[in-house]
This record gives sequence, structure tokens and C-alpha cells, in this order.
Amino acid sequence: MTTTAVQPVTVRQVRWTTQFSQVFLRWTRGQLREPWGIGTSLFQPVIWIVLFGAVFSTLKALPAFSDGGYVTFLIPGILMMTVLYSGAWAGQGFIMDMDSGVMASMMAMPLRRTALLAGQLATQTVICLLQAVTVLVIGWLAGARYSGGVVGLLVAVAVALVLCVAFSSVSNAVALITRNGIALIGIAQIIVLPMTFLSSTMMPHDLLPGWVQNVATVNPQTWAVDIGRAALNGNLGSADGLAWKAACLLTVAALLFFWSLRSLRSFQRAQ
Amino acid sequence: MPTDAAIEAVDLRKTYSSRKRTVTALDGLSLTVPTGQVFALLGPNGAGKSTTVKILSTLATADSGSACVGGFDVGRDARRVRQSIGYVSQGTSADARMTPRENIIMSARIRGVGAGEARTSTARLVATLGLDECADQYVKTLSGGQRRRVDIACALVHAPQVVFLDEPTAGLDPEARAALWQIIVGMSADNGLSVIVTTHYMDEADRLCDHVLLIDHGRAVVGGTPDELKASIGGTGLTVTVPAAQPDDVRGAVETVGVVRDLVVETTGDDVRLAVRTDDATAALAALTGALDHHGLDYGAVAVSRPSLDDVYLRYVGHSYNYEGDLT
Repeated sequence: MTTTAVQPVTVRQVRWTTQFSQVFLRWTRGQLREPWGIGTSLFQPVIWIVLFGAVFSTLKALPAFSDGGYVTFLIPGILMMTVLYSGAWAGQGFIMDMDSGVMASMMAMPLRRTALLAGQLATQTVICLLQAVTVLVIGWLAGARYSGGVVGLLVAVAVALVLCVAFSSVSNAVALITRNGIALIGIAQIIVLPMTFLSSTMMPHDLLPGWVQNVATVNPQTWAVDIGRAALNGNLGSADGLAWKAACLLTVAALLFFWSLRSLRSFQRAQ
Repeated sequence: MPTDAAIEAVDLRKTYSSRKRTVTALDGLSLTVPTGQVFALLGPNGAGKSTTVKILSTLATADSGSACVGGFDVGRDARRVRQSIGYVSQGTSADARMTPRENIIMSARIRGVGAGEARTSTARLVATLGLDECADQYVKTLSGGQRRRVDIACALVHAPQVVFLDEPTAGLDPEARAALWQIIVGMSADNGLSVIVTTHYMDEADRLCDHVLLIDHGRAVVGGTPDELKASIGGTGLTVTVPAAQPDDVRGAVETVGVVRDLVVETTGDDVRLAVRTDDATAALAALTGALDHHGLDYGAVAVSRPSLDDVYLRYVGHSYNYEGDLT
């Protein structure tokens, strides 16, 4: 060694935004360098649209789907379902970090816990944004029409991103608490399917059986789908209870983020 | 607890409990690390080395006891401790999907080093740690030794006061280990950096560390410079292997031999190994073999050795240093 490795540097009070953007950059690079991951996450909604569109194609005969057909009805549901699935796996990244030792190194840095989680959520949100655009484009090609216009599209995508934050936070919290990839997969499977089917994703609320209707009413997936559907169909002004549903969705997303933040302590206790 | 020492820890205790059992990791461990030294925590698996490092680097919290790192309390002032340390975990610190340069810059930026300075500081570390050739390849394509150097660079880039290295040489080939130790020893010469390293390689700790602390069952057993520790036991070590014998018979045979001290009798497989220290190796050897002969015990290999840290361990802990073995 010719020169000394350690020479004085100026260390300033570091801003939250700097830490956040470094964490965001790290996860985004990771995603971009795993083309298989991002490729399949964009291909998945295409399969769902084709699959569900085909399986439920006879439903267009029902009066509930008279205006615009089943595809127009289905797309907001697929949109929310896609981000729900995507978010449910978000914690896998932390599992890999805990197994490799990267997590321990991060926790031993003066890195704010909110920046550590929010930076990763931001990458997840970007992925969900790409997925949302994919769903809307493929949906349009499949025959869906968005009478809500640009405002409707923006509102629907915004709601999808809030749902993405909510479920990514659940996934992160489960990952940090269990510290186990198999447990995360199991819990994600258990949550995701009921969340989708006990909601208005595939069926209008009124066509669901009685007890399913009751569950669907308090299901965040239903709130997101209802707002998204009203926005895309241009019914934001006329549909009932959307403000309440939006408020509930935001509150749940915030609470779940705080839960994931608290779960970092559980990781620390196990050290 | 204001202090000039880089690290001062008093009576650290920590237990891990699960539903099935409770494990005591630290049982009242105290230590002082002087500034600017390479300080080794030496001990077998489960002795408490990693737990100590995790508590001192704010990763884990002690059940009781107190510790100051760089003058800051690890509990009350964790953020300032984190600002003044670098920590290299047993696994990897670097993201495998990024390049060494990207990883090192990220570590600097998260800690508050400005963008320009992060780049120049990174370039300097890349050069001094011999990472030029691989600085812009993905970390996942690097060798174990290169990865370790990236981890260390990430921990050094903000010019910390204290660096923790948890088993940095584990799993590396001898050549990579030697190269890494050259870096570690070089680090402490820079700006009074204190380096705390856990290792289970006795010979490395002996040759390369300024201060060694032996840990066993969550307690500090004995500490000092390697020379002090070896001088403290004095004399010459003698080991005699007695094939296919009973430990009690061997102990009975040699217990009354006068010119030896610190007798330890251990079973290794079917054989019994007896270890002693003496100031007169020739007389002691004659007396020991004579006593074994007298009791009808055949002896095999005989080894004479100057004091090593293995002997220090044997003397203070009471059994041979056996990193992998069970020590119940």
C-alpha cells in the first residue's frame, strides 16, 4: 500500500432526502439489473387480463356490465390486484438483505429508519407505476374505454400507488418480524387471494353473496377498486362514499407504514 | 463515562430467549480498547465475540451494563456512535447487484459525505485496497477476498474513529487472508483509527494484533498484548500423547511429577493428551516419560513448544482451543 487508506473527510449533518435518495437509488439499480424480475412483473397483468377476460367473457350478457362490457369493468380490478400482488412480495428484498448481512451494515449506519423503509417503498412504487401503465394500456387494447379522461386515469393510478404502499408495508413488516422467506411467501399467499376475491375486484358489490358483501365493505382492496372504477368510468362525482373510502385507504396505508417501521425493532431485538 | 479510550464497556450482559431455551451470550463482559490499536476478540464459537461487536456497534442492545464508543453511549447516543464507526458484518456489507464504487459512494453519502468528496474518497480507497481492476464490476462477480475489501472500504470511507470487523478473514484462502491483514494492520496506522476485530485464528491474532482479549462463555478471561500474555504463562510447553489410555490413569501417573505445572489432561479420540508447562524441558520430559513408563503407559508423540496463544488459552480457560468442537 503506497498511500494510507483513511484520510480525513468532511462529514456534514446529512439530510433525510439524501439518505432517502441513496436508498431509493440502491433498490432501483437492483431492480433494473434483474431484468427477469421487472419483466415478469410487467407481463403478469397481461396474463390476468387475457385470462379473466376470457373466463368471464359471458358475463357481458348480464345487465350489470351493460355499459362498456366486462373488460371495462374488469380493468380497475386488475389494476388494483396487480399492485396488491406486487406489494405483497416487497419484503423479499429485506429478507435477502438480512440473510446476506447488508441489513446489519445498514442498521449500523446513521441511516434514519424512515429513509431506510421509504427509499425501498419508493422503488416499489415506481414498479407499481409501470405496472399500472401497462394494465391501462393493455386494457385499452383489449377494448376497455376510460370515459373519466386524464383526471380519471391519474386518480386511478394514484389510488393504486397508495394501495401499493399499504401492501408493501405489510410485506416489509412480516419480513422484518419473521426474518424468513418461506414464512413471507406463505403469509403473502394467505392474504392476497382472499383480499382479491372478497372484494369488488371481479364482481360488482351487489352481485356478491351476503357475507362476502360484508367482508368486501371493510376490505381496502374494495375501497381502492371502487375509487379506481369510478375514476376511470368518469363517475367520481356521482358515486357514493368515495371520500370516505379514500380517507380510510390513506389512513390504513399510513398505519401499515408505521407498523413496518416498528418492526425494525423486532429485527434489532433478534441481533 | 467520559474517557480517552476508544471503547469502554462495563459489565455487559445479554441473553437470547426463545420458547425452547435461553442462551446467555454475554455474562458480565467488560473491556477497554485504547485508541489507535488493533484489538482482537478471540474465542471459540458462541463465546460472545459477535454479540459484543453487535452491542458496541449499536446493532443489538445489552440487557444491562454500559458501553461508550468514541466517547458516546451506545444506548443514549446511538446515532452519534453510528456516525463515528464503521461496521463490517460477518456476512457481506455490499449490495451484490452494485459495483464496489457504487457501494462505497453510497456508504459515504448516507453518512453525510458530500457527493464530490465521496467520489474522491472512494477513488482513493479503491486504489489503496487494490480494487482498481474490479471497481466497476458487479460485486456478485468478485472473489471472496475482493468482496471483503469492498466491505472494509464501505466501513472506512467516512474516516471513522473506530472500525469493527466481525470475522473478516473467515472463509478466505491463506493468500487473501494475508492481504487482508496487511490492510487491517495498515488501517490503525492511519489517523489513530481503532480496529476491533473478532477472529478465531490464534496465529493471526498473535502476529498482527496490538492487544488480545480472550473471551469464553460470555466473559473476558484475560487480556493483554500477545507478548504479555505469553510471558504471563512463562516457560516451555510440553505435550505428550498417550494412545488408548484413560485420562484418570494418565493424570494419576504424572500428577506427582515435580518440575512441571499447569497440568491439563484431555481426551482426543481414543488417545489422551497431557499438556504441562515447565522451566526445564529436559528434566521435565525425562520425569514425565519416566512416570508414564512406571505406570505401564506407552506414550506416542511428544511436542515441545515456546509459549503461544494456544497455550495462553489452555492455561486460562482450562481446555484446548478448539474452535469447531463442543466444549461442554
